[in-house]
Amino acid sequence: MNAYIYDDFLNKSRYRRAINRVEIRLTDLGLNGKIIRLGAIKNIKDVIQAEIKNGIKNIIAVGNNETVNKVISSMITNKDYGFFQKDVLFSVIPIGGNNSIAHSFGIKKEEEACNILLARRVQQIDIAYAGNNIFLNKAELLSNDAIIEIDDDYHLELKQKTNIKIINVNDDNYLAFKNKIISSDNNLNLVVGGRNQDNTFITSKRIKISGTGELILDETMLVPIPTEIGIIEQKINIIVGKDRSFN
Amino acid sequence: MFNKEGKFEKFKDAETIIGASIKVKGNFNGQGDIVIEGSLEGSLKTVANVFVGEKAKVSANIDASEALIAGEINGNIKIKKYLAIGKTAKINGDVQCGEISIERGASITGQIIVSSEDSKKGENKKEKIELEA
Repeated sequence: MNAYIYDDFLNKSRYRRAINRVEIRLTDLGLNGKIIRLGAIKNIKDVIQAEIKNGIKNIIAVGNNETVNKVISSMITNKDYGFFQKDVLFSVIPIGGNNSIAHSFGIKKEEEACNILLARRVQQIDIAYAGNNIFLNKAELLSNDAIIEIDDDYHLELKQKTNIKIINVNDDNYLAFKNKIISSDNNLNLVVGGRNQDNTFITSKRIKISGTGELILDETMLVPIPTEIGIIEQKINIIVGKDRSFN
Repeated sequence: MFNKEGKFEKFKDAETIIGASIKVKGNFNGQGDIVIEGSLEGSLKTVANVFVGEKAKVSANIDASEALIAGEINGNIKIKKYLAIGKTAKINGDVQCGEISIERGASITGQIIVSSEDSKKGENKKEKIELEA
């Protein structure tokens, strides 16, 4: 009852060995399942919808942050997901670079991911949105003149150019506020500064950002501002490792 | 909120922390402890505690359970229980609280009302809530 969604970049020959290692390990552990290659299908939403309807229990993205984003976007915009969401688990087997989401789940290497799938340590997390896109970990703001409006009550003005992150699920083990961030509390956490002394921490439901610039979602996707950031209604159950970077 | 030496323990568990590089404008309503090291304009209200740091500038009315003020405040302060005013504090506005301590060197321009009733009301209310629970 597993579906492995392979991203199309894995067709390149340099990933062949890693894929082979994963497939051998999954077979050894008895975790075989259906393999869906994104390169070969046009409508990923329809394919995932069909799998959820057919009673698939585990959906595993094989690839990087972008793969995770594509797969989760398809799962949650699925009409049937709301009904089945308690039963469907999501996880990731990281291959290649740009895998901060998998790392935050406590999954560092592809073979380790197979063992974690077998252990089935499940945690529910929120899914955040920025405009029409979703993200799991964080949205980083790249702007010199942004005005950040919090829950329609007040807004922040920056006195100097600084590092601003809107965190849903923490991916930074060294973050000063790490223990204050709860991954399933329906809240976003705005962090300014982060590791140094001059830092700001604000919890909110909804954040509007105006001005000029961009947001980087999960180190992958660029979203222009102005935009609105919040938490969507559905949550997602994920299989995580014990070394995950969030509560 | 305060340690044995009477000094403020800058709570690590504060719900909201406004850093020195940030200016907040608007109505700030919180449920937990709030630490302000930057600037705030508007109003500040919480059912918990407020710490205003040495370099903070607040142009707002403050309403909280307990507070320690070490920075500059232009506005009225209403504290249900204990208010501690540090030596670096500069307050332009009226102060109302249940209990107060003012360190030598602090500057206050305004009326100060210290009424233990406010403090007791807070405690009574808390007791009632506990009984109901």
